[in-house]
Amino acid sequence: MKIMRRFVSGIVGLTMLLTGCATTNQANNSRLDLIKKRNELICGVSGKIPGFSFLESDGSYKGLDVDICKAFAAAFIGDAKKIQFRPLTAAERFTAIKTGEIDLLSRNTTFTLSRDSSEGNGLSFAPVVFHDGQGLMVKQESGLNNLEDLANKSICVGSGTTTEQNINDAFESASLPYTPIKYQDLNQVVAGYLQGRCSAMTSDRSQLAAARSGFKDPLDHIILDDVLSKEPLAPASDGQDQKLGDAMRWVIFALISAEEQGITKSNIYEKVQLAKNNPELKPLRRFLGIDGGLGEKIGLSNDFVVKVISSTGNYGEIYERNLGKNSEVPIPRGLNELYTKGGIHISPPFN
Amino acid sequence: MFNINSDSINTLFQKVRKLLFSNLFNTVLSLVILLIISLVFFNIYKWFSLNSSWEVVTTNLPLYAFGSFPTDQQWRPATWMICLLFISLLTLFGPKWKWLRKNLLLAWIITIPLGLYLLYGGFGLSPIMSRQWGGLTLTLLLTIFSALLSLPLGIILALCRQSSLPLIQKSSSIYIDVMRAIPLISVLFFGQLLIPLFLPVGIEIDRVWRAIFAFTLFLSAYIAEDLRGGLQSIPNTQIESANSLGLNQVQIIRFILVPQALRIALPSLTNQAIGLFQNTSLMAILGLVELLGVGRSILANPEFIGQYIEVYVWLASVYWMVCTIMAVLARHLEQRMTINKTNFQKL
Repeated sequence: MKIMRRFVSGIVGLTMLLTGCATTNQANNSRLDLIKKRNELICGVSGKIPGFSFLESDGSYKGLDVDICKAFAAAFIGDAKKIQFRPLTAAERFTAIKTGEIDLLSRNTTFTLSRDSSEGNGLSFAPVVFHDGQGLMVKQESGLNNLEDLANKSICVGSGTTTEQNINDAFESASLPYTPIKYQDLNQVVAGYLQGRCSAMTSDRSQLAAARSGFKDPLDHIILDDVLSKEPLAPASDGQDQKLGDAMRWVIFALISAEEQGITKSNIYEKVQLAKNNPELKPLRRFLGIDGGLGEKIGLSNDFVVKVISSTGNYGEIYERNLGKNSEVPIPRGLNELYTKGGIHISPPFN
Repeated sequence: MFNINSDSINTLFQKVRKLLFSNLFNTVLSLVILLIISLVFFNIYKWFSLNSSWEVVTTNLPLYAFGSFPTDQQWRPATWMICLLFISLLTLFGPKWKWLRKNLLLAWIITIPLGLYLLYGGFGLSPIMSRQWGGLTLTLLLTIFSALLSLPLGIILALCRQSSLPLIQKSSSIYIDVMRAIPLISVLFFGQLLIPLFLPVGIEIDRVWRAIFAFTLFLSAYIAEDLRGGLQSIPNTQIESANSLGLNQVQIIRFILVPQALRIALPSLTNQAIGLFQNTSLMAILGLVELLGVGRSILANPEFIGQYIEVYVWLASVYWMVCTIMAVLARHLEQRMTINKTNFQKL
């Protein structure tokens, strides 16, 4: 078969050609420069988590994770719209960063040691944007208010998960008895809870809130203030790229710091005027990039804070928009409040 | 008129009686089955009319069709899909004029570059990257391109497996056996997760094309086996007579083996195509927003949380509709390709 031989030699030739191309390596630049040159940010999101990232009817993405992406785009490029969302599954997300398919990840990723370490996934995490944790949901009419009230009650839980382990630990350390009712997955847990098989159900608080917003009467159910585990969710980027990591870190801190200083989307330009007219407001002038040249030190423009706040608002505004009281997936702020209001969000000084 | 009517009713009645109520056991069985069927229908009707809310489908129709393709450019995939539908209908009902019938194949082939041009843009249209493709457009694209690429590869593999050169024969049978021993989902995972790790930095193959690549690798092994059945059913005497006529190897393959093998394998190839179309839904768990992926993303929208049944019923009906069109087209093709008496008379 002559044709076959020709075909095989063709394949061999093509392979050699491809490997030849492969040796042209990319210059060892920071991803940040690439983003600016491309004039577009490629952001990995989930696309399937209510309140965090989901598809709107008009085909655009929305949610807390998405707004964080927009803040990055505003800071890096100066335009929150120059952004491409790449929906990723949990399995793909770290490969996508390693291979450079995406610039950064804003996809409900829990900050852990093994993901941060160079021996593990080799990521670099920005500050936590949402402190999730395992919570408990009960019916309003039951009058249950905290973990102690649930003594001797039954609790619906997904079996074989860390969730099950956490609830067990919590009750054991408080030396309270309870009855776990185990189900295979979250949907069954929800069904069991709604059918009244248990007094409370337990899962991550964001998931509880999402499940609740699908109930017929969401207001009849409350999520207790007790938090049984730590699930700090943070944006991440390639651990080898310190420049990009630094820039991301300070964009998040800017969002938090702006909330602390009462700088919002609506008053940002007034604040800029105020800072320009009053040379004695030194911290504000540094923060808004009038003095100090802080932005340039992390590879951004000096007024990156102004660009970020004017396009997405501060952290509190982002939270209210996606997870606040009037949103469709209301989650009480709890740990996600500022440190001045009983939460743990705090920004180091912009010096 | 009344008479005829009552007569026909009478015969119908008797037919029913004979079929369903011929003896006691049959009667009981029929009644039970009828009861179950009517209960099922009643419940479905009740759900449709009372409990279901189809807003999740109606407000998101463009999303199901085109994914997050830019709104002002959505006429492009729409044009492509309408073209495909139009040519399908034309193939089924149209061809009275001879020139049209002759050019139908050409029209089908043209839809492929046309689709690529409309989706990618360039040359006057604004360029759109494949990551913005989605919905039914992406599902169709995955199906068409995987099928198109795996058919020639499958033919080559099948021919290699029949080859007299041991190295070629062995390597192609090993490839086919290995591919058939691996589940499709693991091939797809390989395509989406491992290929980018193997490739050097700087070379990046698009996710859509990686998926098409994986589907092609998998499907070509199956197509090769289907074709092998066709090839083996061609009697050896045909090859001998072709040899004695002075045809060379390439000519024998082109004019005698492949056309007959394709015709014989057509029903099972149709099967593969329909299977492929449904298997593209596996890409939803690998992060492509094709038809099922769009459905899942919409379900995460707080406005539509918990409306699983409506979305999945709707998706099932879309899949069903496209599969039916494919099956009908394939049956039509089969009928056209069978060697019937008129063809023999011409000989």
